[in-house]
Amino acid sequence: MPLRKTRAEDLPQAGSQAALSADEAIALLGGPDAAGRQAAARRLAGNAAAAEALCARFAVETDIPTREAIAVALMRTQSAVTVERLLPFLSSEDAALRNTVIEILQALPAEVAPHMERLLDHPDSDVRIFAVNVLEALRHPKVEEWLIAVVSADRHPNVVATALDLLGEVGTEAAIPALSRIAARFADEPFLKFAAGNAMKRIGAGS
Amino acid sequence: MSHPAIGQEDFHKFREFFYRKTGILFEDSKRYFVDKRLIERMEATGSDSFRSYFTMLRFQASSEELQALTNAMTVNETYFFRESYQFDCLVNSLLDEVVATKPPKKPVRIWSLPCSTGEEPYSIVIYLLEHWAKLDRFDVEIFASDIDTQVLQAAAKGVFSPRSVQHLPAALLRKYFTRLANGNYKIDEQVSDSIDFSRVNLLDPLDTRHFRDIDVVFCRNLLIYFDDTSRRAAAEIFYNAMSPGGFICLGHSESMSRISDLFRVRKFKDAIVYQKPL
Repeated sequence: MPLRKTRAEDLPQAGSQAALSADEAIALLGGPDAAGRQAAARRLAGNAAAAEALCARFAVETDIPTREAIAVALMRTQSAVTVERLLPFLSSEDAALRNTVIEILQALPAEVAPHMERLLDHPDSDVRIFAVNVLEALRHPKVEEWLIAVVSADRHPNVVATALDLLGEVGTEAAIPALSRIAARFADEPFLKFAAGNAMKRIGAGS
Repeated sequence: MSHPAIGQEDFHKFREFFYRKTGILFEDSKRYFVDKRLIERMEATGSDSFRSYFTMLRFQASSEELQALTNAMTVNETYFFRESYQFDCLVNSLLDEVVATKPPKKPVRIWSLPCSTGEEPYSIVIYLLEHWAKLDRFDVEIFASDIDTQVLQAAAKGVFSPRSVQHLPAALLRKYFTRLANGNYKIDEQVSDSIDFSRVNLLDPLDTRHFRDIDVVFCRNLLIYFDDTSRRAAAEIFYNAMSPGGFICLGHSESMSRISDLFRVRKFKDAIVYQKPL
């Protein structure tokens, strides 16, 4: 029978797949071989001391699978250093890089929280929209409070529209007063009035 | 005892959230099914309203409740030839593509994970023996892994209940199984001896580092139980373990496109699967 039983542990391993020490993995992160860099990232996942090195490589990595391996490692590491190093990339013109950064930040709620108010107050409205995008999947009890602050104070219709969409899902009665003021605050933006009404309808229907 | 009520807007809100998190979309016709399980979980967690339950589901840092609800919303049991359209796809399309670019003398590698008590990898073996004409021209290695050592022991033993084999055609049951005195069925040793069973925690690089050049992965109804980060880590690990051009088959309610951009969607006559780019 051509079905051949082979033990998985007997399969030959590529050199980069052998067990690495943390120091070896950090050194390998800067190496020329993409498979080696991916193995290094996998090895360093969860190692807070390696967050700096992972972020440094992430910033310059151009190989897509390697960038993904580093992103996953950073998501699994839960380090404040990661947030500090990656926040500037929310202003990046590289949409793929920026989206990956948003996804990493979404996975680090406790580490992102201390930065959120500053992000939502950023002078660049695009960065504020990306900050709301981070909130979309952020498991943090202050998400609604932050969103209410956005729809209460932000003057940019696109930022407010993004927040309204999310408030429709996560909002409670606490959001109603801020939502009620949208029509007056944005009298020239009928879409925002509609979106606020939609969010209130959803919140009001809650039992 | 009165049950907490779930309104129409609540249902829609929950449906959108659950779809985004799991890829499972409940039609309006599933309303009763969804409400029943939501109410069960609300009672189990002491939530007095949908709103308080949904807030916990949405923001709980550990995601434990989302996990519990996902378990309640998905009913999984393993049996021979389950979701057999993917095995049809394997023998009608995937393997032919795999061997078309395979260097001479390189074996075809198939990995079933989680293999549970063995129904899936044994189904693969039977499908290959019965339906893949090129089997005599290529060496095929089949790996089957699970994190649970008890199910691995049961898998290696190869004894199955009548319920487990109920979807097998009678001719195949006679050909590959022996009926035991207690009514169970023991699989032919030639079949069980062709599979390497191993304990693997998918998210532990030390466990997965041996798996290289895998051509086809069957990972059905596992990722749905992972949180977002773990799901993405798993996709990355599979990508690393697979050959360029290799395929991954997920459960019918799972979508790799919602997890990772590393794979591309391939639509075949029998099934939609995901492929590591060549």
